[in-house]
Amino acid sequence: MSEQGIGAALTRVEARDKVTGAARYTADVVLPGMAYAALVSSQVSAGRLRSLDVSAAKAAPGVLGVFSHLDRPTWHRVPAIPYFGETRMPFSDDRIHHAGQHIAIVVASTRQQAAHAAALVKAEYEAGKPVPTLEKALPSAYVAAQGNYVNFPQETVRGTPEEALAGSPVRVKAEYRTALISHAPIEPSVTTATWEGDELTLYDTSQAVVVHRGLVATAFGLPEDKVRLVCPLIGGAFGAKTHVWGHTLLVALAARRLGRPVQVVITRKQMFTTTGHQPPTVQRIEIGAERDGRLRVITHDSTNSTSFVAERPENTVLSSVATYAVPNLRTRVRLARMNFGTPTAMRTPGDGPGSFALECALDELAHELGADPVELRRRNHADVHPQSGKPWSGKNLLECYRIGAERFGWHRRDRRPGTRREGNDLIGYGMATARRVEHHRAAESTVDIRTDGGVVVRTATQDIGGGTLTTMIQVAADALGVAPDKVTITVGDTDLPPGAPTFGSITSGSNGSAVRLAAQDARGAAIRLAVGDKGSPLHGLAEDAVDVRDGRLFAKADPRRGETYAVLLTRNRVNPLRGNGKYSPAESQYETSTFGAHFTEVRIDRDLPRVRVVRHLAVIDCGIVLNTKTARNQAQGGIIGSIGVALMEELRQDPVSGRALAPALTDYHVPVNADIGQIDVHFVNKPDHNSNPLGAKGLGEICSIGVSAAVANAVFNATGRRIRDLPITPRRLL
Amino acid sequence: MRVKFTVNGEERTADDVWEGESLLYVLRERLGLPGAKNACEQGECGSCTVYLDDTPVCACLVAAGQVQDREVRTVEGLGSEEELDPVQQAFIERGAVQCGFCTPGLIVAAHDLIRRNPCPKDAEIREALAGNLCRCTGYEKIIDAVHTAAAHSRGEATS
Repeated sequence: MSEQGIGAALTRVEARDKVTGAARYTADVVLPGMAYAALVSSQVSAGRLRSLDVSAAKAAPGVLGVFSHLDRPTWHRVPAIPYFGETRMPFSDDRIHHAGQHIAIVVASTRQQAAHAAALVKAEYEAGKPVPTLEKALPSAYVAAQGNYVNFPQETVRGTPEEALAGSPVRVKAEYRTALISHAPIEPSVTTATWEGDELTLYDTSQAVVVHRGLVATAFGLPEDKVRLVCPLIGGAFGAKTHVWGHTLLVALAARRLGRPVQVVITRKQMFTTTGHQPPTVQRIEIGAERDGRLRVITHDSTNSTSFVAERPENTVLSSVATYAVPNLRTRVRLARMNFGTPTAMRTPGDGPGSFALECALDELAHELGADPVELRRRNHADVHPQSGKPWSGKNLLECYRIGAERFGWHRRDRRPGTRREGNDLIGYGMATARRVEHHRAAESTVDIRTDGGVVVRTATQDIGGGTLTTMIQVAADALGVAPDKVTITVGDTDLPPGAPTFGSITSGSNGSAVRLAAQDARGAAIRLAVGDKGSPLHGLAEDAVDVRDGRLFAKADPRRGETYAVLLTRNRVNPLRGNGKYSPAESQYETSTFGAHFTEVRIDRDLPRVRVVRHLAVIDCGIVLNTKTARNQAQGGIIGSIGVALMEELRQDPVSGRALAPALTDYHVPVNADIGQIDVHFVNKPDHNSNPLGAKGLGEICSIGVSAAVANAVFNATGRRIRDLPITPRRLL
Repeated sequence: MRVKFTVNGEERTADDVWEGESLLYVLRERLGLPGAKNACEQGECGSCTVYLDDTPVCACLVAAGQVQDREVRTVEGLGSEEELDPVQQAFIERGAVQCGFCTPGLIVAAHDLIRRNPCPKDAEIREALAGNLCRCTGYEKIIDAVHTAAAHSRGEATS
């Protein structure tokens, strides 16, 4: 741990505002003259609008305007894919692609009036025949062509998979299903739009203000610098705010037509139907192995649903491509269109459902072989990337297995299922590997040192809850040699230097590197200033003979000789001294991933087979940990989110219409406090400097990958029942 | 209609309140107290938990008219600028806050639990706070925070 910042268990800098109610989120921003919008949703899931009668709504008290496809909004262009939610622009025609689709926006003086008037909009439909579910869509599944959202290989072949299967002494083959699940962040999506002439400012719950600004500018045909996006704090996202969805554009459109600021807060129901979800998957896996457990071949065939207005494949098969050393492989991803909202990235896209299938299949293989599941994975460890053959920038997966097995007490596991009992409880242990590609993004930051010794970090990233504000401060403090409490940070505004998105576990590595480079730049400039300044005690020294600690520059050879940043800058009348940092990920000779191992203990009552995760341990290798306090908490949250995926989360659909049966938190069960057992997290905590200058990698996703498989494998160990469909509800075990 | 009630010890009046408005709406939109969060508007998540007299309620489920002449206490009214409430302090110290959107409701619910049960056990905390959904923290640190706050309220030093 560095005494100056990195790795310290620093308390979250914005925590005080959050516990006192002083923190301001997007919905808390009130602009003068602001009007309020409500969105009207389609009640059918396919067909077209025969008529839309808005007269009663327009006549309702307080209503300022009602807009729909009848007003023929002219969008300049469809924004760039993939970070625009759908390929269809809102209100572009009378066609209905899913229930809940926005068909009108009502704006009124108060939120209540808008909601009331929205209920008065009368839609008549020419209902079509929907494709209601993935099950019904499967016969028309297809392999999508590259382009738009389809940005990874849909089919991969390595070696001679068919021959390898035929010649394998041991084979397992199974079909796994994951459910349609929803991010369900506690803060709903919110947009407030205000125009000044042809300049648009949006206060938007955005995981990527810089990326989203460009998309909004395209939709309205504006130069990027005419659009400003602001998002200081986000109340959770998990991917739901990764993309620009229709409501953001509609609110901007309404604000322009009405000539005043307009705000919309998406309803809880609309969160489930119009801001994405993780699509259900059907995955077939076949593994061929030697008797000693060495893998000969994996085939992984995956189909997920998508909407009729976007093709979004889930990269589930990457688990099979990139996790283990296997010489022969065949993977394929197919899409099947259904009349439901468009799926999107959700913690963790691809690897969440993919690792469920692969890691369960490996458990089945271990059982077939009579092998220990940890040992089986060790034996198939990928020393280099199994597809590209490139070395890893850093990988400590074997250490994750070793530490995890030891700390968890894995040796107490009985490999005969259904043998461990306590009272009426069946007890089972399960484990799984976690692996996630580390993504990199260009990012910029400035770091200002002021004459009062204070430091200001400016970068247009955003804090969705992971602790970015705090960790970026720690990175700057560490590089500058100042105490973290001297540093403040401003984020979430496109007027700042362009920062990295806060999705895909990008922020720590990419934005952290930009902040580090900016701080190093400022520190270097200060040292140069000092050694060249006759008035400085450091005058005449070589730059590398100077170090900085606690805001004081000093001669390494004689630490008494020195002065503070504040004194140096004041004397030289430099205020502020600005450092610039620009991180641009380069083509690398390495493959970079994060890794981990999950160990879980379940208990299941024999009469009422409700699965309880009483104990879970994750050992995670994500490079150097920037803040052990925020990291541990984020990882625990990711694990519990995935325990939800394993045991309860499913947005159930009506089998005829495909509509979400109960898009509400009362029926879409997420884990509550009473569901949780003991969750332990251990970090390997070794910097990966081959990955980026900071040596830190993403944590937000790796912590959640493999959890559902570990739980399912523990259920098998407890009961002897192999549940291949998520979620593992009591019904599936009865 | 006009609604007159006490909020965080201060007499407040809201005019032209529509009969269908919720207490949450009045607090957030009319009285400038956005601490209680609007997250589901149907009593599912607990993010808008406030005290109504001495009972924690989901402010989104309480009609504005119901609070006439009664006393409401929100997260903004627990503790002061100089001294935070022990529950608020413990949430900061223990790292029980992530995105913070569920936090105001959880603080009020935890405050109520400690008032009723000065020495709650893990299982009691989990049960008492089961109506306050949190999607980020995974609850573990919240349990720690409640223990810390309870000990502090009992006058014990904590590590």
